[in-house]
Amino acid sequence: MTLQTLLLVALALFCIGLYGVLSRRHLVGVLVGLELMLNAASLNLLAFSRAGMGDAVTGQVIVLFIIGLAAAEVALALSIIVALYRRRRSVDIDRLHELRG
Amino acid sequence: MLENAMLENVRVLGSAAWVFVALALIGGALAVTLPNILHAIFSLALSLVGVALLFLALGSPFVAAMQVLIYVGGISVAMVFAVMFAFALREGPAGAARRRRGLAGAAALGVFAALGPLIARASWSPHFARNDWTVAALGRALLQHYNVVFEALSVVLLLAIVGAIIVARREPPQ
Repeated sequence: MTLQTLLLVALALFCIGLYGVLSRRHLVGVLVGLELMLNAASLNLLAFSRAGMGDAVTGQVIVLFIIGLAAAEVALALSIIVALYRRRRSVDIDRLHELRG
Repeated sequence: MLENAMLENVRVLGSAAWVFVALALIGGALAVTLPNILHAIFSLALSLVGVALLFLALGSPFVAAMQVLIYVGGISVAMVFAVMFAFALREGPAGAARRRRGLAGAAALGVFAALGPLIARASWSPHFARNDWTVAALGRALLQHYNVVFEALSVVLLLAIVGAIIVARREPPQ
């Protein structure tokens, strides 16, 4: 498998995640798509690092940071979703438009 | 200089690597299409395991282990817990969903069509020696060169936990 093949795989994963973020109406579904996009980025970083496009450890370190930040992001997002659900009895993004400009 | 950089570890694995790729992509496709949100989260876990196996194939067992522990064991499970405790499992009525799905698919395909040829045409040439892939080197980099980022990330995680508790807490009755 060449670097380009793996980059195309990561791009496909990213596009699948993008489709999920744009098409879902359930807030948790949007979060699922977001995780797929983050994973595609991680795959790219590690593939570049392995192919000698970057330092050996840099790709791995940044992937670890991405995983840590994703954990923080999901914890906050889930708590916001729970609070929203409690207040509005809905997790449909079409019905949550108080902040619309 | 290699004209078309080969990933020799992945190449050694041969068709096994394609199984991992299939796992990641099929899991992802199911995760964005299944109507039941709980099924979608389980498919996401499947896709994450596929990506972790690809990390392993790329020669980074530590990152693969962290991916499984934190993503599959932590993030997916937290999502399942949140959904099972608090939400109606199924998505709301479809309504304008078909049109939105069309637009989202067009956007995703557009991104793929825009970036895919660029990736296929570019010639990647390695600049760095493929040296130290041991966990010891990773730990040294994490605690020496990237020490400030490492510590900042732990503060971010602490703040996220405290913030999540404050936001999700039931408001006391007035």
